Formats: sequence, C-alpha cells, structure tokens
Amino acid sequence: MQLKRPPSALQLGLMAASCALLSHTARAQTVDSAEQPFELDSALLYYKENPGRVQTIEPVVSLKKDFGDQRILGGTFTVDSLSGATPNGALPSRKPQTFASPSSTSLVPQAGKKTTLYAIAPGNLPQDPHFNEQRVAGDADWSQPMGLDNNLSFGGHVSTEHDFDSFATHADYSRDFNEKNTTLSAGLSEEYDQIHAHGGNPVPGSDYELYEHEGGQTKTVSGALIGVTQIMARNWLMDLNYSYDHSQGYLTDPYRILSVLDALGNVTGYRYENRPDSRARQDLYWVNKVAFGPTVLDVSYRRGKDSWGIGSDTAEAHLRIDLGHGVYLEPHLRWYHQSAADFYDLYLSAATAAPQFMSADPRLAAFIGTTAGLKLGVTIGRYGEVSLRLEEYQQRPSDQSSALPQLQGLNLNPNLTATIAQLSWGLQF
Amino acid sequence: MRVRLPLGALTGSIIALSLCGCQTLGVKPWQHDVLARPAMALVSEPMDAAIDDHIYFSKEAASGGRGFGGGGCGCN
Repeated sequence: MQLKRPPSALQLGLMAASCALLSHTARAQTVDSAEQPFELDSALLYYKENPGRVQTIEPVVSLKKDFGDQRILGGTFTVDSLSGATPNGALPSRKPQTFASPSSTSLVPQAGKKTTLYAIAPGNLPQDPHFNEQRVAGDADWSQPMGLDNNLSFGGHVSTEHDFDSFATHADYSRDFNEKNTTLSAGLSEEYDQIHAHGGNPVPGSDYELYEHEGGQTKTVSGALIGVTQIMARNWLMDLNYSYDHSQGYLTDPYRILSVLDALGNVTGYRYENRPDSRARQDLYWVNKVAFGPTVLDVSYRRGKDSWGIGSDTAEAHLRIDLGHGVYLEPHLRWYHQSAADFYDLYLSAATAAPQFMSADPRLAAFIGTTAGLKLGVTIGRYGEVSLRLEEYQQRPSDQSSALPQLQGLNLNPNLTATIAQLSWGLQF
Repeated sequence: MRVRLPLGALTGSIIALSLCGCQTLGVKPWQHDVLARPAMALVSEPMDAAIDDHIYFSKEAASGGRGFGGGGCGCN
C-alpha cells in the first residue's frame, strides 16, 4: 500500500504562487480582451484608362473589431463611380459607323422608343461614350477559433449597380498542425448574380439590326478552395492554394457586339456576342513571404485555366523596404499573360454562318499585362499610418491587325494603359 | 464542356510533399518573433489586395486564387 504524504510547506507555497500567477494571467487576458481597439482602414482610389476611356473614383472604408480570443468581426463598404468610354467590341472601319447606346430601345428613332446614337469616325475604335455607372458594395466577415487548433470564418457580400446585383457568401475552416507550423484550410463559396442591362438584355448571338431584347437574367458561381500554409523558417512563410469554381447561367456581356465583315474587310453588319452558359475555372496560387532583416519580400505565382480555353500565368512581387522612423517604400511588379478564349475572334465572316459562341471582348483576347508601381507609407504616431500608391497598368494584345485589305493599317485592338493612384489611411482607436 | 484536372493532381502532390517535409521545417513556439510582424501576414495589406483584385477582375479573364472575398460586378 502506498501512503500519500501530506504536501510540504514548500509545495503549498509553490501551489499558492501558481494559483496567484494563473489568476493574474486570466485577469490580464480579460482586461486585454476588453481593450482590443477598433481597426479602421480607408482608401480613396483613382483609376483612369487611356484618354477618353473609363475612369473610376472609389472610396473604401473597412472596420475591424477583435472581441478577444481572436473572435474578429470585420466589415467593408465601397462606393464606385465609373464614367467614360468603353469599347463595344466592333472593329475600326474605313467608313463612319453609328451605334445605339445600350439604354436605347430602338436603333432608329420612332414614337414611344428611346434612341441615343453615337458616331465613330473612320479609323477609330468604336467606344460607347455614355458609360456611366455607380456601384455600392458591402462585405461582412466573422472569424473565431474553435478549440486550440481550429479556426472558422464566414462572411457575405452584397453589391448593387443599375444593371447588376450580386450576393455572395463563403465559409472557411482551418486547422493547425505540427506546433502551428502547418495549417490546412478549406473553404466553400456561393454567389448569385442578377443581370438586367440598360434597355434590356440583348438576345445572345442575335443580329444587332433587329435589336432583339429579353428580360433580366441570372447566374450562379460555386467555388471551393483548399490550401496549406507552412512556416519554412524563422523568416519564411509559404502558402499554396488550389481553387475551383463553376459558373452557370447568363455569362454573356450584354453590351458587347462583333463586326461582320466581307472578304475585303467591309462591314456588312454586327451581332451581339454569345458565350457558353457554363464555365469551370481552376487556379493554383503559390506565395512566399521572406524577411531580410526589416525588409519583407512577397513573391507569388498563379497558374489558371478554364473550360473556355483560357490559360493564364501571373507572377507578382512586392518588396517592403523599412526606412526607419515609421517610413517604408514598397515597389510592386506584376506580370500577367492569358491565352484567348476558344470562341474569341476579332470579327465574324459574312461568308460563313455565325458560330454558336462568339465574342470580340478584349478581355477574352490573348494579351500580356504588366504593372509597375511604388507605395510610400508613413506612420504618424497616434494618428495612424498614411500611404500613397501610384501604379501604371498596361495591356498589350497579341492580335491587333488583319490581312483583310480594308483593315490594313488599322489598329484593331489597341493597347490599354491605366493609371492607378490610391491614398490610404489606417488607424487604431 | 468539361475541364481536365491536372492542376488538382499537382496540388495534391505539392501538399503531400509539404506535409512530409513538416518534420524538418518550421520553428519552435518561441521563434515566432519575425513571423508575428504585421508585414509578414499572408495578406498584410488587405485593402490594397481587395482593390487590386477588383481592378484585375474587371480587366482580365483570370481572377482569385488567394482566397474568397468580394463578389461579382458588372464591370465593363
């Protein structure tokens, strides 16, 4: 039989000290939890494309609150105001061209119908100059731990503009392993969109002259993501994600048309574009963050492909250089390449029947996009951090010309240049 | 239209390799000093990331990859 000895005076003393320490720690944590500040982030974005094309002014405000124990509620509110001209998909021509703005209900003036026309001079890229849109969007997210090694987050998104409404939700789960050196994560998302174009949605693939329109349309996007985050070393973090999403419904752009040309390149008419009603996309995203003293390098690569035949590569790097005294500089470089969609072409041939799917949207063309920019951030004590970011984005399409006699010498898909300026202010209070 | 899944197999292989290597990678709990810096967060500038995602979503055919966030827009 084993006799249990009563605790010694030293043991009793240590137990009392431990209890006192534990109770003090618990009280300190409670106080800390109550004192978690609000985090406010705000930004004003100015985005401007080539002279005469789209420009945007976009204020964004984001608020985050930690309720203790890493239970975090966040929300973002965004307002967009876009204006300028946007390409309608038709090609430049040797002759003047006339189009109707999407808000029109008839191509020719007639009683009870609205007709707003715009003329394009010979050699110029057809662009609708009446583009004007406001968008309001809001996001909310909640994140909390579940036990010691698990985390759950979920959120929602709503955005509305005159011709488009979007509702989205997502849920993510992650689990830490290996002394929190490895994290596996998985997430699901669902999005529901309503498309109700100005003047009604055109019948996809229909003859532009007939001006056939129909009611509003919808689409859904279902997505899944799995990822692994690994601490590689004391100054090196790596993350790898695989994502898959499937879109179903009205995926056509209601404002895009294609030129129909004869064998010489003369315009014989136009057609509204028509895209498949489903699209599956996959992306592999790999990012590394490495600290070299106070300087941090963020370098990433993304490979994407979809069922429309578009393959893409994105390589990106940010280098945050700490200059001391709360000041940092951050150069940013991005390189992007995509191949064209299977059904993309600059124009349709009048000599053959129109294909089932067709689009001349420059965003579905093969092109290279590059971004170069610089950000300057300054901490101003209790007033938070102010930063200014200036960047230039360029798109260079692969296919800009045609051998057709009437198109020679014309730039059919010009380069795009955009200036991005962003002023940000962050504060804890 | 179906899409083949070589990226899935590749991802699985890389994740498996990462997990196999976990025993030799990583740091001890008291060595998180550098990793705990805000600049070392995976998305250290969420506002910039969200704005960039929105710009490139409206100008390019590919988007996302980093995670879920935001939603669609009728970007023209």
